[in-house]
Amino acid sequence: MSSDGENEDLMFEDEYDDAFDQDEDMEDVDSTSEPDVYDALSPAIEEAPQKKPYDISWKVRTLQEIIDMQNKEIKKIQSLLEVPASTAAILLRHYVWNSEKLQEQFWNDPTAALQGAGLSPPSSPSTRTQTLPSSPEKRPNRLPRTTVASPSIRTRSRLPTEPFECPICCTDFDKTLVEGSTFAMGCGHRFCRDCWGEYLSGKVKGEGESAKIQCMESGCQRVVREEVIDEIVSSDISKRYHNLLNAAFVADSSNLRWCPHPNCEYIIECNQAPARMLNQLVPTVECKCGHELCFGCGYGASHRPVLCRIVKMWEKKCADDSETANWLQANTKECTKCQSTIEKNGGCNHMTCKKCKWEFCWVCMGPWSEHGTNWYQCNRFDERSGIDARDTQAKSRASLERYLHYFNRWANHEHSAKLDAEFYRKTEKKMEQMQNSGNLSWIEVQFAKAAVDAVIKARITLKWSYCMAFYLKRNNMTELFEDNQRDLERAVESLGYLLEQNIVDTDSIAKLRQDITNQAAYVQKRHDILMDDTLKGYLERRWEFSVDI
Amino acid sequence: MVNCYALRGLRMALISPCSPLQSNLAQARLHEERKQWRKDHPFGFYAKPVKSADGTMNIMQWEVGIPGKTGTNWDGGVYKVVMTFPDDFPTKPPKCKFDPPLFHPNVYPSGTICLSILDEEKSWKPSITVKQICLGVQDLLDNANIGDPAQIDAYQMYKNDRAAYDKRIKAQAIERRPK
Repeated sequence: MSSDGENEDLMFEDEYDDAFDQDEDMEDVDSTSEPDVYDALSPAIEEAPQKKPYDISWKVRTLQEIIDMQNKEIKKIQSLLEVPASTAAILLRHYVWNSEKLQEQFWNDPTAALQGAGLSPPSSPSTRTQTLPSSPEKRPNRLPRTTVASPSIRTRSRLPTEPFECPICCTDFDKTLVEGSTFAMGCGHRFCRDCWGEYLSGKVKGEGESAKIQCMESGCQRVVREEVIDEIVSSDISKRYHNLLNAAFVADSSNLRWCPHPNCEYIIECNQAPARMLNQLVPTVECKCGHELCFGCGYGASHRPVLCRIVKMWEKKCADDSETANWLQANTKECTKCQSTIEKNGGCNHMTCKKCKWEFCWVCMGPWSEHGTNWYQCNRFDERSGIDARDTQAKSRASLERYLHYFNRWANHEHSAKLDAEFYRKTEKKMEQMQNSGNLSWIEVQFAKAAVDAVIKARITLKWSYCMAFYLKRNNMTELFEDNQRDLERAVESLGYLLEQNIVDTDSIAKLRQDITNQAAYVQKRHDILMDDTLKGYLERRWEFSVDI
Repeated sequence: MVNCYALRGLRMALISPCSPLQSNLAQARLHEERKQWRKDHPFGFYAKPVKSADGTMNIMQWEVGIPGKTGTNWDGGVYKVVMTFPDDFPTKPPKCKFDPPLFHPNVYPSGTICLSILDEEKSWKPSITVKQICLGVQDLLDNANIGDPAQIDAYQMYKNDRAAYDKRIKAQAIERRPK
């Protein structure tokens, strides 16, 4: 594991990125400048990170950096298109931050581009409104000009020459109050500030909207500008609004993803794992909060070496009750008359349905009356219907058994992972014991912690390897995969056993230390082999799955 | 099997409390709407707040009559809609329900109308008036939005047997003729 410092520009860099397009903006910072504690202490286990063809580079961003990114884009568009900053922002959000597309469409037809983004004034479908003559984008202030056409409509009075009634709350405003207490955007739809505040707060707080809040007028698609919202709503709503804008920016950018861990505010930037690459890459990244996550699907831990799509399928399979149905099919039969589900838990084959009192034979599922005096023994095995019923049952039984085989192993490792903290605690106690009784220094007993790290890491990989194996087609490659899996499983087991050993005397500590260090190195090696081979296998298209990916 | 990552990505809590001020706002607006309606409303329609059992007027719930457009299969019928206004109206749209439920592809079996201007996440805007809602619903009657079905019976008949659908609508118009 590479070191991580507090440097915000720290980059987790692996140099094998020639195959991918590297973002020019990413500043490469040498992450090896700080010495790694474990590297120095137990070189057998913690080797310097090797460069692998399947590794990706990423950057951990702070919220401020995300804001700066947006501002940079906005400034660029602002100067290129010669529009105010808030216009540039609305345009960019409308074009999902694709500035090339925005520029192309803008230069092609500026009016259409502005209108599409909810900026251009003309033609509101509302029957109560009028169109304004020209673009308000060049206006220095946000107050509507006093030359609004057609004064005949009650709700759209001119400012500030006549009294005004807010069409929403129906409050009357004296002409001296109109300017201070009401507000209209460039579209000219005037409402009182209280109604605006109520509406905007509701949109931000209640519905979590941000970039696409429109004018209150029916059918008017004019988007409310940032500074308008900031001016009208309370500061906490405004803060929430800006958070939502940033969240929307991250959600809209395929190269950004929030760290999914609770209370973590970092954002991961990765340019090497676009969606189309996810059938051959497992982009596991590590956030500055110390947790790993999958950049591809947002899974809150490493699920290497399994592809995101397979993980999703597996989770769904484990979560939904399709397996309950399988169990029912494998372990129960239906009454041939009333279709009640029956699980036979003992007794003879002469069944009498509790519900409909139908008597039938459990073996051949035929009516009991045909069995004549052949009580408690069915010799009618050759019957067609009986064979079919038994076939389907055997099939679903086999499929259930197969699933349970993999699931049990997966769940077992999942369970072990939950006991991590306990494992660390026990090992720490043992390390103390060794320091006290064996005259070993603190540094000398760190091997045990390193070994626990190796076990835990290997268990997570093993866990996912069972999910992988469940979906793999049976072929030679799968056999090799399972061989690697078995080797790692064995290595982990024996290391786990060594770590459970009790410390007897000083001599045994030295031997135990040697054994554990060796075994931990072996586990690490087996782990890397399994991981390497599997991840490279994707790039070489070696794996065949029983499902579409 | 417990999914320990069930809370992944959950970043928002969507709760908006309603202040008494909002309720006053809703009432003031509805009284004004009532006033405007009495001054002028489209022909054939009616809209009035309901009376509670003790005879007092409940401004937050209206009974509305929507006539079918002339020349359509809906002509002749007046379709009763109950509008229930929430306390945070006009921030939130009223709930509009045909009473009794209507045979129409965009009306839920409960009678609730599926219409974009009545959906706060779609086209609802605080400035939409009762009159606009009435006209919108009238327009929906003969212009069903087949991409957004709300009941299976009317939707399937509309799609598969248009003649039978038209016949059914005409029968419904006769049934809902005002007495």
